[in-house]
Amino acid sequence: MLKYGGEYTIKLPREEVWKFITDPHKVVPCVPDLIESNIEGDNRFQVIVKVGIGPVRGKFKLECELSPIEPGAVMAMLIKGGGMGSGVEMNAEVKLSDTDDGTLLKWECEGAISGPIASLGGRLIDNQAKKIIQQVFENLEKAFASV
Amino acid sequence: MGKSIARKEDPRFLRGKGRYVDDVILPNMLYMAILRSPYAHARIRRIDTSAALAAPGVKLVLTGEDLAKMNLAWMPTLNGDQQMVLAVDKVLFQYQEVAAVVAETRAQAEDALQLIEVDYEPLPVVVDPFKALEPDAPILREDREKKSNHIWHWESGDREETENVFRDAPVVVKQDVRFQRVHPSPLEPCGCVADYNTVTGRLTFYVTSQAPHVHRTVIAMLSGIPEHQIRVISPDIGGGFGNKVGVYPGYVIAIAASVKLGVPVKWIETRTENIASTSFARDFHMTCEIAAREDGKVLGLRVKTIADHGAFDAAANPTKFPAGLFNIVTGSYDFKAAFVEVDAVYTNKAPGGVAYRCSFRVTEAAYLIERTMDVLAQRLKIDPAELRFRNFIRKDQFPYKSPTGWVYDSGDYEKTLKLALERIGYDELRKEQAEKRARGEFMGIGISTFTEIVGGGPKNTFDILGIKMFDSAEIRIHPTGKVIARLGVRHQGQGHETTFAQIIAEELGLSADDVLIEEGDTDTAPYGLGTYASRSTPTAGAAAALCARRIREKARKIAAHLLEVGEDDVVWDGTAFSAKGLPGKSVTMKDVAFAAYTDVPEGVEPGLEATYYYDPPNLTFPHGAYIAVVDIDKGTGAVKVRRFLAVDDCGNVINPMIVEGQVHGGLTEGFAIAFMQDIPYDSNGNCLAPNWMDYLVPTALDTPHWETDRTVTPSPHHPIGAKGVGESPNVGSPAAFVNAVVDALSPLGVEHIDMPLYPWKIWEILREHGINE
Repeated sequence: MLKYGGEYTIKLPREEVWKFITDPHKVVPCVPDLIESNIEGDNRFQVIVKVGIGPVRGKFKLECELSPIEPGAVMAMLIKGGGMGSGVEMNAEVKLSDTDDGTLLKWECEGAISGPIASLGGRLIDNQAKKIIQQVFENLEKAFASV
Repeated sequence: MGKSIARKEDPRFLRGKGRYVDDVILPNMLYMAILRSPYAHARIRRIDTSAALAAPGVKLVLTGEDLAKMNLAWMPTLNGDQQMVLAVDKVLFQYQEVAAVVAETRAQAEDALQLIEVDYEPLPVVVDPFKALEPDAPILREDREKKSNHIWHWESGDREETENVFRDAPVVVKQDVRFQRVHPSPLEPCGCVADYNTVTGRLTFYVTSQAPHVHRTVIAMLSGIPEHQIRVISPDIGGGFGNKVGVYPGYVIAIAASVKLGVPVKWIETRTENIASTSFARDFHMTCEIAAREDGKVLGLRVKTIADHGAFDAAANPTKFPAGLFNIVTGSYDFKAAFVEVDAVYTNKAPGGVAYRCSFRVTEAAYLIERTMDVLAQRLKIDPAELRFRNFIRKDQFPYKSPTGWVYDSGDYEKTLKLALERIGYDELRKEQAEKRARGEFMGIGISTFTEIVGGGPKNTFDILGIKMFDSAEIRIHPTGKVIARLGVRHQGQGHETTFAQIIAEELGLSADDVLIEEGDTDTAPYGLGTYASRSTPTAGAAAALCARRIREKARKIAAHLLEVGEDDVVWDGTAFSAKGLPGKSVTMKDVAFAAYTDVPEGVEPGLEATYYYDPPNLTFPHGAYIAVVDIDKGTGAVKVRRFLAVDDCGNVINPMIVEGQVHGGLTEGFAIAFMQDIPYDSNGNCLAPNWMDYLVPTALDTPHWETDRTVTPSPHHPIGAKGVGESPNVGSPAAFVNAVVDALSPLGVEHIDMPLYPWKIWEILREHGINE
């Protein structure tokens, strides 16, 4: 089981951050190494992304579902899919809270990887995952800046 | 015999002129690739093969449902279970076969695999065999009547008597010992070419097989193709070590594909497929107890074992005991009583436990007893060599009946250990160790005095699918005195072409150069049960010798005719026939051979050939005394094997160089198991070492220098007194290595460390004791 988490302060009011992160049209462009995307509805989208972990390189097809748990404050995000004979399943939870100068975004993510990526790239996954997460936030930061 | 003649097979191997399965190229041949499960446990909701079928070059895509229509979705295993060929409904281990693509090129087949869409619903994964036995564990095998992950329980020895011995014993030691999951990892992975002729109905099947005849029978029983219409050819094989005994799903799928398409289909495994899906070995969780007197004399032995068999009970195990020969666990020692029990368990791991260069769980047993004897020695503060001398089965006790029922044929354990101690300079080494210990250095000496059990086997205890495990030889002498001999075994590098030629040449008074050995083609070779469990020399070697003797009996009749004397007056002196009392008048086998086709006496059938099927009266019991000397680097935990001496006793030796080569190879494998090899799984059932990046194979640089020596205690029941040696070094050496490392660390109170002895493990122990802070 992989576990990641972190927090991040955004200089925007909570409602605006909430609107942003629950809108697939806004979230999808922040996905790094995006090849193709397909927004299916208000809370579901599919993406195809480029992946390279150790000796395994190729495309991942992921299905994402955003579901509010506590409107304006807590959201769950389910990511499922895979590629190159490997499977990925991630469960993330995002929590928003007010701070003096904006919004604090806290996230936690639990995931499981199966297949050659887990067995061949096992030792490399951690760094790669951290890199991807960092990229997601860099992209989010840019996107928030233009809100 | 007893001479190190150069191996007849080596010129073709050394010059790259061997012919392996992947070298077989047939007209119109297609290539197959297999899609494997990324999940260790998941329900299959849907498989969509349409995109793969439309891909360039693709001729066929097969799923479990397609095979079900051909009645090939499941196959029987060698342990009375059944195994999925291509997954139906659900997958049970990572890398399990889910679908197969046949295309014009291998690359096209592999590319098309990516286009198959499988909708999996992950299920809870069970990787720990102890957890698999808990009442709330998910049931893995829904196809089985028994709704439990427990496969079978097996026991041997006398429970009550053993309990009594333990109750009254002054000393009892108890040790948990794990023999990790390892893999034979032959240089050449498995593979096959299935060539079904739709007109004649004949299947020619080239396969990496240690047992081609058995594969033929299994294919006939499974596919419905009549056995006389199946020809199995096992060409040159790049190592087997047990990995090439089983029937794998890939073989069945390739045959099904060839039958469907009417053209040859080739399937060659990748390294990852080989390690992650074909026949692991060991994976035993053992608890051993020894009851003894204060002076170290052992009294009783009690062993409890959990065997992790993975998703299907596909252990190669042609004995009537589900845990094979694990009941050799009393080893070289004279125990009054013993009781051993094994429980096999299903988990979400690859199936197919093979013996891996050992006769069906002897390695686990030998490791266990040799390790625990050292635990006892350490506890009682008795030198481990001395403890062994006090407990050996004595030379005059043979034939010796062990407390678990086996009758050891012969042995002289004391002599072998004495020779080993002398040659290594044991007393000086112990002195050196004491000096080093005083200086805070870590040096260890490890002894293993194991007994092997080889030569499967006698028909009352060994069979494959009911076929008794005899072995066979057929010898034909041509008119000019040249010989072709065919055997039912199949070598994978062991040097049969030389060894058997030497046996036959010796029996017939010819030169080994005159004898051609052929194996591996079921159309020509007599029925045999294959090469594994060190059975080639004990069974086929015996068949070859007895077959040659049968020819000699006929030759005597012809010789009498040529010598113009009565048959009873003909004497064979090992090189020629001569007439009793008529010196100077003799005929050689070559003369007899020519006469057999040109000048046979009245009433004698022309030709000079014979066939012999040999069913051994008992197994053979080679033994050895191995000593490892190690130094441990305090800073890094790295272990340097400074010296390693293997003294083997495998009875009479046919070709000493070949025996030594086998010992070197087996020791290198034992070294790898002790120090670097393991197939671990994470909690999701991901196999974490499915390649040679993570599953380490020692190179010449890693491998220690091996010293070897020999004692000779012939087998009393074998026609040439030979016992078999191929597995001994792999069976006997892991304990010697671990005993040496534990001995080095014993001043810290260390009594046991589980293999593999990675440097970090040793380093952590040293750090715990404040050694390398």
